[in-house]
Amino acid sequence: MRSFETMNPAAVSVQLLLAACITLFCLEPSLLLISLLCGLSYFVLRNGGGSRGFHLAALGIPALFAVLNPLWNQHGVTVLFFLNDRAYTLEALCYGAVTGVRLAAVLYWFRNFSDLMTSEKLFYLFRFLSPKLALIFTVALRNITLFRVQMHKIQETQRAAGLYREGHLIDDLRGGLRVFSILLTWALENGIITASSMSARGYGSGRRTSCTFYRWTRGDVILLLLSLALSAASLVPIAYGALKREYYPVSVPPHYGAGYFLAVGAYTALALLPLIYAGKEALTWHSLRSEI
Amino acid sequence: MLLIRSERLRRTLQFVLPFAVMPAVLLLPKETMGQYYAFISFVMVLCALLLFLAGFDRRELGTRRMILVSVMTALSVVGRLLPVIKPITALTVLSALYLGKEAGFLVGALSAVLSNFIMGHGPWTPFQMLAWGLIGLFAGILSKPLLRSRLLLYGYGLLSGAAYSLLLDVWTTVWTYGEFTLDAYAAAISTALPYTILYAVSNVLFLALFAKPIGDKLHRIEVKYGL
Repeated sequence: MRSFETMNPAAVSVQLLLAACITLFCLEPSLLLISLLCGLSYFVLRNGGGSRGFHLAALGIPALFAVLNPLWNQHGVTVLFFLNDRAYTLEALCYGAVTGVRLAAVLYWFRNFSDLMTSEKLFYLFRFLSPKLALIFTVALRNITLFRVQMHKIQETQRAAGLYREGHLIDDLRGGLRVFSILLTWALENGIITASSMSARGYGSGRRTSCTFYRWTRGDVILLLLSLALSAASLVPIAYGALKREYYPVSVPPHYGAGYFLAVGAYTALALLPLIYAGKEALTWHSLRSEI
Repeated sequence: MLLIRSERLRRTLQFVLPFAVMPAVLLLPKETMGQYYAFISFVMVLCALLLFLAGFDRRELGTRRMILVSVMTALSVVGRLLPVIKPITALTVLSALYLGKEAGFLVGALSAVLSNFIMGHGPWTPFQMLAWGLIGLFAGILSKPLLRSRLLLYGYGLLSGAAYSLLLDVWTTVWTYGEFTLDAYAAAISTALPYTILYAVSNVLFLALFAKPIGDKLHRIEVKYGL
């Protein structure tokens, strides 16, 4: 069994996007908390204790939303207090907290997505959409690093020519613009040369062939099918309203029946997939199957 | 989308879906969609984006123009890294003026994705892509008057800054409150007002700074290599 990030990008992105999308689909606190916890712990597992700023922003959101939502939302019957003659209700507070948790969970899943799906992997996926777009995308990516190196060279030359005074705002600004202008001229000419060179080597003259970086192995197919099956098992009850919780005017919980537990259980398994793959020493395929 | 053979049908769908169907869905009463509102709007924007991208791919951009699009994209991403200069809108508009509306859309949309690799991706990425792409697209469509009058160009910069902010506020509202109400939208707009003004003014500033030098360079390339 390979680690999660080395699996086929299509399967990985399907898992991550489904986990994020189902989170968007519902407003049930239990499912949202599970989603947040799984997304958060996978993020921490990959990044360690760092990125404190991101945690602060993502986890501060629920609190902020909870406090702010009642200011706009006048629904709900349990009035806590009045602010400028507008009722501040408990129900609106709860609703704000729930939407906040939802946004935080989605933020973590998207963050995991952008950590895992490097530009090369996204290119592999983009290819299916359109080869021409994928080419523009890769050339732009290559150009970014190229231009950064070139910009550095131009800056050094300008500095050596004595065109900068250290720590002078106007000079910095003018210098920045001059460097950008030089870079632009060079970049456009360089681009034309690249294009001519491509035409000379026969780009666009015949049938296109392509090179694949990633293969589909049995493990990838299993991950893909598992993600799809679990999402379906979770989405079908959700579509039938198994997680439908009323927030206004009073909170009415959903019916805690088979549908509810199927939806939440299947989603839990889906959200746990990256963690399970990450902890492959402890958990084997067999225990994964028995957990479902 | 790529499977639709008829050019006219494809073109119609490409414009009708984002501009008629999407706002109509956004304005439907909340009860029809209930809790799926945020999700549906996210998917709609993603679809609109894919439609645009797929539609443009069919047109012949030509190798040189394609490479120039990626050059301009890379430049605006690199420009976003410089300390003071934030030229994405200005560069998008200028490439649209000189390289055509497809190029404008692609530069805007791709700059958003690529710079978000550095700034951080999120559910807002498709919205940013669409917003910047549309700024480029309309600049390309209006290229004749915009090239003729500098004042109109500044007006366009001002307007596009405001429009960008307004479109992203739709995202903020839908994602914060799970529904689109005019009250919450107005609140989001008013809290974002300083940023809106900043965007609009800095767009004009960068267009004023860049229009002549970058325009001249693009024009020179256009003439020299006969694009």
